[in-house]
Amino acid sequence: MNKLKLNYTSLSFLPILVCIPLGYQLINNIHFGGFKLFQEFLISSFNPKIDNEIIITVIKRLNETILIGFFSWLVSIIFGAFFGIISSNIFYKIFNIPNFFYRIVRFFLTIIRSIHEVVWGILLMQIYGINFSIGIIAICIPYIAVNSKVFAEQLETIDYKNFESINQINGPKFSSLLTLIWNPIIYTFKNFGLYRLECSIRSTVILGLFGIGGIGTSIFLSFQTLNFRELWTYLWSLAILIILSGLIFKKIKFNTTNKILSIFFISIFFITILFSFLYFLYFIFNNNFENFNSASSLFKSSSDFRLFDFLKLTLETIILSLLSTGIAISLPPLVIGIFNNNTSKIFIKIFAFLLRLIPTPVILLTLLTFNNPSVSLAALTLGLHNAGITSKLLFTNLDSQDKRNYIAMKSLGISKKTSWLLGLFSHQAKSYLAYCAYRSDIIIRETAIVGVIGSVGLGWQLQESLSSFAWQEVTLVLIAYSCIAIVGELINGKIKNSLT
Amino acid sequence: MNNTVLELENISYKYKNDLILNKINLKINSGEKIALLGKSGSGKTTLISVLNGTIKPTQGEVKLFNQSFEELDRKQKSKITTIWQDLRLIEDLSAEQNVNCGLLAENNFYFAFKNLLNISSFKKAHKYMKLCRLHNSIYDKKIRKLSGGQKQRVAIARSLIQESNILLADEPFNNLDPKLITTIKNLLLENVDKNKTKKSPKTALVALHRLDLLNDFDKVIGIRDGKIFFNLKRNNLKKIHLEKIY
Ligand SMILES: Nc1ncnc2c1ncn2[C@@H]1O[C@H](COP(=O)(O)OP(=O)(O)O)[C@@H](O)[C@H]1O
Ligand SMILES: [Mg+2]
Repeated sequence: MNKLKLNYTSLSFLPILVCIPLGYQLINNIHFGGFKLFQEFLISSFNPKIDNEIIITVIKRLNETILIGFFSWLVSIIFGAFFGIISSNIFYKIFNIPNFFYRIVRFFLTIIRSIHEVVWGILLMQIYGINFSIGIIAICIPYIAVNSKVFAEQLETIDYKNFESINQINGPKFSSLLTLIWNPIIYTFKNFGLYRLECSIRSTVILGLFGIGGIGTSIFLSFQTLNFRELWTYLWSLAILIILSGLIFKKIKFNTTNKILSIFFISIFFITILFSFLYFLYFIFNNNFENFNSASSLFKSSSDFRLFDFLKLTLETIILSLLSTGIAISLPPLVIGIFNNNTSKIFIKIFAFLLRLIPTPVILLTLLTFNNPSVSLAALTLGLHNAGITSKLLFTNLDSQDKRNYIAMKSLGISKKTSWLLGLFSHQAKSYLAYCAYRSDIIIRETAIVGVIGSVGLGWQLQESLSSFAWQEVTLVLIAYSCIAIVGELINGKIKNSLT
Repeated sequence: MNNTVLELENISYKYKNDLILNKINLKINSGEKIALLGKSGSGKTTLISVLNGTIKPTQGEVKLFNQSFEELDRKQKSKITTIWQDLRLIEDLSAEQNVNCGLLAENNFYFAFKNLLNISSFKKAHKYMKLCRLHNSIYDKKIRKLSGGQKQRVAIARSLIQESNILLADEPFNNLDPKLITTIKNLLLENVDKNKTKKSPKTALVALHRLDLLNDFDKVIGIRDGKIFFNLKRNNLKKIHLEKIY
């Protein structure tokens, strides 16, 4: 008797059930008006436009993207480490600061982190006008908070006994602190920091879609004018950039015992801090607060804003997050398990790469060519994009796993799919789910992007309220976003703890 | 002319519901070499942690140089050095970097920074490592790659390099062979360095299980179930005392 047992493996597949309501709504909303456009979009991917003019544009736009992406990465890593330190236990123990401040700093960072960089970007653009530096600042704000969390988590692994022994030597407090945090900080930088550059470039592209500049803006403009061949030129060049940035960092081996390299990094560190600080001051004092200055707009009454709508949109956002998380969790193991042979694997990998490459707004806009905007469509977009990311992790882990069990089961005559499931995947399921719990934190934040584009949830309300300068509403929406993200993070934290 | 350097007044330490140290009174005078005896789990490590200020006792007061421990400044507190039973070295740093950590107290932040970047001077560290019979091939090895006995001696070198007046050593002879035990014991308790470039700590309290080493100590303290059972001159120690605590 084959009963469905609730274990980590089955838990990884169950969320696919979200496809039932999702599929129902999507089928109801289907229209074939834009089918030809979609076809054209697909065909153009094999036939990108290549001529002198566009190559020059691409180089120029990529330069901007690299500049924004790299600079915001650097700043957010350095300040992330700093905030990571002051939001870690060890700091408060060494300096004997009451735990109260620890809570305050953590709470503050949690709130900052709960709001997606696109929301920060839209917000800042509304206040300062479209501006190159908005991109950097919009990315840095949440990134610093996200990075600080990762740094702080790594710092919590410092052995309390080591703290006691270094503390007992009674050196200057900063010396003790630095000695203790050195290795966790370097470790986090190597294992997490470098990977963040890719994230930062992606975020730059997404913000570009909203007009910040760089390749994202070109992507958006070419999509708007339905210039699909041009669009694919930009997308492919972005792909090259992302692959290259990954390769470069894989090749560089950071050797912390190399003196010249160490000094080099230290100088970069200080120059960046100095520069970003000056830049920040410059930014604050040299920008006129165009729209924000009109105080009347602060108190603008919002008669068309109803509590009921607000609750409905909040609920929509929550449903959107749940549906997309379901897809992101279950789709990769399902697809990899069903199409378990070498050729399909390559196709899945390419498809997953494309899902990661194409910014979510573009995926959504493409899907909108033959489907009306709905929560399901937004969820599908977000889910697919994130499935691209979770599947990459799953592939990496499966490839590096010991395959003896799997081979033994296959040679016993057990079917290939069953052996894959029991011999390979079941060993990964737990850590995979733990990663997905972490991923769903991000999904909740990303609902903002598809919300703004796909007119669903709070993202839509944010856009509406911002364009009518209804700052009270904006504040309310931001608070709602924060609450959802924070509650989500708490729940995911509990899940993660029970999984590890 | 006994001047007390460390003093415990009616110290108790409770962990959850267990009374781990029970009303301990103890005076340690300058220049004394004290052996601390007791079964495993009798409270030796806890007592040492209270003496160096790492554990705050639930009750009673710790006095260093006749001053309450909390009132002392960093420099005064650094007059105590500890060799921990579980070593407590930083696994991801090299042996010499760990030994240099002992110099944190007498140097500024810049030194700590250079030490981590591996660009500080290791001259003094090497000197102490050599005294501990550590071979120079392990100087720049990460702690996690060393053997138990090597780690033990790195921890000892980190402690000796501090050149503190008061040494608290918790079973420092673990993992060492007989010849090394003699060397290390001499390092901890006497001036053995022929060139007289190094001063042994004046006052030492060593927790140990090797009764054959007791001859080098002036005093013996016996502890059982968190209580001091005897605190005697070594010459007065009788078999019957030892039977009480073991
Ligand atoms: N961190 C701790 N948590 C709980 N109990 C502890 C801890 N440290 C020590 N103990 C208990 O305190 C008692 C004394 O331990 P310890 O001081 O390590 O003894 P010794 O060093 O003589 O072997 C033991 O019963 C031990 O179980
Ligand atoms: Mg002990």
